[in-house]
Amino acid sequence: MPDTIDDDDGWAVRAVSAADAPALVRGADVLGSGGGGDARPAGLLFAHAVGAGAVQLLDPDGATDHAVSFVGMVGAASAFTEELPGGGEFARALRAVERWTGARATALASLEAAGLNGLTALATAVSCALPVVDVDLCGRALPRLEQFSLAVVDGALPPLALALPGGHVLVVEGGDGPRCERVVRAVLAAEGGWAAMATAPVRRADWARVGPVRTTRRCLELGARLEALGASVSNDDVTAALGARLLGAGRVVEVARRAGAGFGRGSACVRDQRTSALLRLEMENEYLVAFEDGAPVATTPDLLVVLERRTARVVACDRIRRGDDVVVLQLPAAAFWGHPEHAAQVAPRAFGLDVDPVLALQPAGSPW
Amino acid sequence: MTGLGGLLALPAWRGTAVLAGEPGGVSLRTVVLLDAPDQLGASGAREALVVLAGPSWRSAPAWQLDALLRRAADAGARAVLLAGTDPLPGPTRLLCTRLELCVLGGEAALLDLATAAAVHLAAPEVASARAVLDVSRAVADGRVSGPGPLVALCARLLGAPVALADASGSVLHGDLALVVPRPAEPVVQRDRTAAGAVTARPVLLPGLRSVQRWLVARVPADSGPVAVGAAEDLLCAASTAVAGWLAAERTAVERDARGRAALLTDVLRLTGEPSPELRQRAAAAGWPLAGWHVGVRVRTGGATDVAGLRAEALRRSAEAGLQLVLAEHGDGWSGWWSTDRSPSAVEVRHLAERFRRLHEGLRQLTGCATGVGRPHQGPAGVARTLSEAADAALLAAGRPEQGRFLHVDQLGVAQTLLAWTRTETFEPAARSLLEPLLADPSLVQTLGVYLDAESSLSETATTLGIHRNTVAQRVARIERLLEVSLGDHEQRLALQLACRAVGPGGPGGPGGSGGRT
Repeated sequence: MPDTIDDDDGWAVRAVSAADAPALVRGADVLGSGGGGDARPAGLLFAHAVGAGAVQLLDPDGATDHAVSFVGMVGAASAFTEELPGGGEFARALRAVERWTGARATALASLEAAGLNGLTALATAVSCALPVVDVDLCGRALPRLEQFSLAVVDGALPPLALALPGGHVLVVEGGDGPRCERVVRAVLAAEGGWAAMATAPVRRADWARVGPVRTTRRCLELGARLEALGASVSNDDVTAALGARLLGAGRVVEVARRAGAGFGRGSACVRDQRTSALLRLEMENEYLVAFEDGAPVATTPDLLVVLERRTARVVACDRIRRGDDVVVLQLPAAAFWGHPEHAAQVAPRAFGLDVDPVLALQPAGSPW
Repeated sequence: MTGLGGLLALPAWRGTAVLAGEPGGVSLRTVVLLDAPDQLGASGAREALVVLAGPSWRSAPAWQLDALLRRAADAGARAVLLAGTDPLPGPTRLLCTRLELCVLGGEAALLDLATAAAVHLAAPEVASARAVLDVSRAVADGRVSGPGPLVALCARLLGAPVALADASGSVLHGDLALVVPRPAEPVVQRDRTAAGAVTARPVLLPGLRSVQRWLVARVPADSGPVAVGAAEDLLCAASTAVAGWLAAERTAVERDARGRAALLTDVLRLTGEPSPELRQRAAAAGWPLAGWHVGVRVRTGGATDVAGLRAEALRRSAEAGLQLVLAEHGDGWSGWWSTDRSPSAVEVRHLAERFRRLHEGLRQLTGCATGVGRPHQGPAGVARTLSEAADAALLAAGRPEQGRFLHVDQLGVAQTLLAWTRTETFEPAARSLLEPLLADPSLVQTLGVYLDAESSLSETATTLGIHRNTVAQRVARIERLLEVSLGDHEQRLALQLACRAVGPGGPGGPGGSGGRT
């Protein structure tokens, strides 16, 4: 156990229990930016695993001496939901990479603390009896391994272990981000569609330079504020609760999907009820760019969040349908992506959209 | 017809379909061929038809076509033409309605459609250019030799009424029904009336600020904005020709004015009988030298177009009932009225009234100051009365309370002299002369009284109620401070005048009486 840091905001060491699951799920859905998979199954998984206990969530500033293994689900979230995990996959992947590298993990963290992976690391931490460090590799949902912050910072990924739902285990070592991505995608396409992944334990003196920090805390806070709003809320309330910028609100007038070279592509058009402006959301696994009347008004790596107007529930890219009554919001990305040397991998052009980034400013002193 | 409707009616455009937006009422100016969206500048496509000649936009993602349409609309485009007549996605159609952009799909080769459109859109401009060229050629070849025929030619080319008016807007040539909307503003003007669009162009001469003439045309209401532009172009070409003729006239006016100014100089130098040569020149100019003369001097200031306003000045003097000889100066006119016999006092008074009326007329025009001399006889009398008039005009300039009009008869000689000390030029001179004394007002007062008392110390002491020795001391101090001797009669005269100007009753002093005559 590391020394508890004397911090009176209660976030130095936070015990996350089953009671936090609803807020975590809603927050993780918001940070998914339309992707990352539905967090609810993972929420059930975590609540079931943790029972009456709790998982320690460590603030990264006080956890610099931990060897952290990043765990999470890779592949198709729909496949994950259809073929639910037996429960041991994540631990199996962790044990495999530990055996391969000969290093023990002293703490876990999430690959991407958004969408369903917003809770997988917490659930795994229960079975492995490890604390979770509040640092991750995305700060939102991102589709490709080469976009993980470790790949962006180091130019390569640490050794990875994949535990497939069929029971096989695979270790991938060496190669840069894009190579790993190709290998992992090929395996997933051939076998099951999803896998539990764990990276070799990583030890860093400054977690803030390695990855987006406090994303789980952001999930918890945003989720709690949404939960507090209750049902039937106004656009302005939701916008204020999330600290977001309102891009538009109205009916979805068209959703067009098309197959692409990699992931499927699509666009959803929302007609703003008040101004009649046409808001086009260009999407891959996540909402990537919002165009208002043809001009880009918000882009990745900022979070583009579509909420059902009546319930303030997130409408994911694969769920959005013509006729939905939605609110479209822009939330600032994690500060990590604001650094110019980090931004290229997650800018619109990294997704093949020839548009300059249009980003909202993270308020000064923001913890994430 | 340069609307989108006109293009769609072209035979070459048969088979072109409207894919989004409303083609009705869309006016177009030019055609822009576009290979890549970055070619569009901020306003590079104002009122243009943008032809998407680059790679097929049909196969591009919808957001790219949206973004391009938005950029085209931002650049001012009114319509976009792309290949193929397949319908556009719903949101893109909605976007076009929002952007007020009409999207057309062409069956034929886009370049052929673009060429046909460009030729069609340029047709009115070509016609307008031809008319301008016709006017320029007619003037240059001498087929049109004056404003009248020029106005007739313009009217024929435009098929609309055209007129040439003077500065005040009254028509000199052409259609008498035409009106300059705002003659006081020397800029190109447009005015929409029930009978059509009136356009007026001022004719200006370099170096002269005022408008010389107006060219006006009225385009019938149903011929559209392009026809107004064509009319404006034509008036522009015509205005240079009119300006040329005016400049030639102007040269003649200036030459005459110079001749009169030279003759006037010689007349003003006369003291005795004129030489036979001068007599001849005066007779040729129609200037009477014999008999009795009453001179007038009108001072306008250097900015007034004295030569150009001569005719107006003569007209106003005729209106005032005066038959005058008038000659130009740099800053106004000199003139005189002549009669065979010595005018009686009553006649002079009547005459002065008429001169005042003339002054009032000219003052509205130029803001002048006017002086009138006394009657004098013979050729040398012209010079004398004009010289008196000139003095009076100088004084009049400083007398707004008398309407800046002075008749020398109203002034005694002493008053004239005194009045001189009240002028704006004399006062600073007097002040600088007395500068050393100004710190102590009692010294100026003592000096004034002492000089008025014919340099008598005792009389000065009595007047001021002080001791004789005090006066003597002050006078000694005054002489020391001014470094003058009060025994010198010239110094005495200068100081006495200066005391009048600076002391009580002078300008700026307490109880100043500028109104004395």
